[in-house]
Amino acid sequence: MKKVLALLLSGLVAVLGLSAQADATKPIVLQAGSANAKTKLVFWNGLTGSDGVTLDGIVKKFTDRNPDISVRVEKMVWNTYFDKLLTSLASGSGAPDVFLLHEFEIPQFASQGVLYESSEFFKPKGELDKADYEPEYIKALNWEGKTYGVPLDRHGWGVIVNKDLFKKAGLDPAKAPKNAQEFIDLATKLTIDKNGKHPDQAGFDDKNVVQWGTFASWPKPNFLSTLWQYGGNWTDGKGKATLDTPEAHKALQFWVDLIYKYRVSPKPAGFDGWQSLANQKLAIIPEGCWIYNFLVDSKLNFGVWEYPQFGDKKAAVWTSGHVMYMPATESGDNLVAAKKLITYLSQNTATWATAGMPPANLKVRAALKASEVPVAVTYGASFKRQGQFDTGNVAITEIIDKGYGPELDSALNGLKTVDQALKDANKAVQDILNRN
Amino acid sequence: MTRVQSWRNGRYIAGNYLFVLPFLAFFLVFTAIPIVQAVVMSLYNWAILAKTHPFVGLDNYVRLLDDQIWWQALRNTTWFAFLSAGAITIFSLFVSLQIRKPGRGRNVYRFLFYVPVVLSVAAMGIVVGWAFNTQFGLVNALLAPLGLQPINWLGEKELVIPTLALATLWWGFGGPMLIYLAGLQSIPRQVYEASEIDGAGRWQTTWRITLPLMRTSIFFVLVTQLIAHIQVFGQSYLITGGGPGRESYTSIYYLYQTAWRYYHMGYGSAIAVSLAVFILVVTLIQFWWNRRQAAVEY
Repeated sequence: MKKVLALLLSGLVAVLGLSAQADATKPIVLQAGSANAKTKLVFWNGLTGSDGVTLDGIVKKFTDRNPDISVRVEKMVWNTYFDKLLTSLASGSGAPDVFLLHEFEIPQFASQGVLYESSEFFKPKGELDKADYEPEYIKALNWEGKTYGVPLDRHGWGVIVNKDLFKKAGLDPAKAPKNAQEFIDLATKLTIDKNGKHPDQAGFDDKNVVQWGTFASWPKPNFLSTLWQYGGNWTDGKGKATLDTPEAHKALQFWVDLIYKYRVSPKPAGFDGWQSLANQKLAIIPEGCWIYNFLVDSKLNFGVWEYPQFGDKKAAVWTSGHVMYMPATESGDNLVAAKKLITYLSQNTATWATAGMPPANLKVRAALKASEVPVAVTYGASFKRQGQFDTGNVAITEIIDKGYGPELDSALNGLKTVDQALKDANKAVQDILNRN
Repeated sequence: MTRVQSWRNGRYIAGNYLFVLPFLAFFLVFTAIPIVQAVVMSLYNWAILAKTHPFVGLDNYVRLLDDQIWWQALRNTTWFAFLSAGAITIFSLFVSLQIRKPGRGRNVYRFLFYVPVVLSVAAMGIVVGWAFNTQFGLVNALLAPLGLQPINWLGEKELVIPTLALATLWWGFGGPMLIYLAGLQSIPRQVYEASEIDGAGRWQTTWRITLPLMRTSIFFVLVTQLIAHIQVFGQSYLITGGGPGRESYTSIYYLYQTAWRYYHMGYGSAIAVSLAVFILVVTLIQFWWNRRQAAVEY
């Protein structure tokens, strides 16, 4: 009986511990610098993984160099972060001195006048040089003729491969596919059912696949990248939704066909791409550069590809960027200190690349070594060659999460035809554009 | 001669009101005023960061009537609430009937059954996500020796809501179980003794004595569970993200995204008010149905 009670108590402690650990509303706090520092800054971000720890290290170096400034870094999961940021900006009090957003969110916030205009960070007024960034990145920071934010990194989409599975299949993991057909052929060779058959062989059992060739992962970057490659976009940029177009059909059909026609990818719902990759059950995964720490932690023998060319019109891959901001109300000593912090962080992002994130600063990015940070280097080169930022819009979150995101998911999970999903997505996006 | 305290006495009344003042203050600030504010906001195009909020009258409600996402979310929510509330009402009653009598291990069982209730919804979400994972989950691992194929519990249209309801049953039946245990203890012992003398068996005693006398408790559990589960959010938000597609997207999830992700507080308030009216109607129907049943007295 005592053993049973001890077991029960242990279980209770475990679930209570899990309960406390899972309280996503509480921020992870780092106090960098002296508590007696003259100027105290608060820096909010949503980097709750190991990438956040890397950024903490850079902040600590800043406070070591600037003992008169302390920085309280508060990391929250992105959803909680947005809730808190929104209420603090709306109420005009309690807002952090520095915070992170993505570049595509600039119109949402800048249009409401809550962001500090940032042109003074750049030459001739500031230390930073716009020539150190890709022109399209600087363009993405603009809203109605003004610049908002200072870039930290340029993250985005590429491909990770499991080298061991390639070698087992007698394939060269360094040889990336040049087009859609080569990608399908590779994925076919790497998809194996329990009887050792591939999808192009008679008797292939798609209900008992032991190893998948690839995975139609996060629909947004896959779809947008492919759509751009076919020469389309989700909008014409003049208030019209353009998702019910031949280009959009080709792009979505490609990903749907990987699942239902070529049978080289599982349905996305219920499939854990990262764990499958680490457990030798998945060979190729289109994924963001933030997977890097996971790859290192799981000791996977992995390779990195630039995003392949699936479409037939132009090279393109979805990219985004973490951008540093201050609230429009920032002033006095805190404004001076916050500017110092942002400038320092933007110039010292080589360490940030160890979290997989290609630095936004091209000089810093060019100095990276592939042997040390393979994901940041390969992805960074890809972004410079073919990277494309999403089209900014004041309602971009609604357009993605409500407009077309669930429709793409429906098509990929076999709940709607490609035609129906894109018609519904187009209508939903058009409704949102009309209201904004 | 001492003066008798009376409720008509002003000082006496003021003294009593002092006791309820703390609650009243919190109730006004965190419940009553926000409710009124939500109703008012629902009549405006209220973007949270905007400087001006144009009055739009009933436009938000008219728009909601034609909003297919709202109707799908409401359908999903109703189906989930019906399954969860029904399962919890019945299962917790069954369990409480099994463990009500003193016996070996009774407290251990009560403890075990109640433990999931202390989990936060976030922790429950993690546990359920792990347990029902198609490839690496505990449930499919347990089914594998029976020769069953891995089931995509959270990825199939037909399975996702029942799976979330099943998880909610595990998480939430402990609370109603305690209510039932309290209700069972309040049934007079003489009634059971009389039925025993009359020769009633265990089955007859349960059906003819226990369940009729537990009607008030059962009704209370059913009403409160339905109200609670129509407001489901965490399960869908944390475990499935509303997917696949929008097959597990719920009304409160839609409210949250509309107000806090898309910043349309006015439209979000219209969703909140409409959902409150829906809950009220469902609850009134339950009360109407309950009144039609004959009351049991002892």
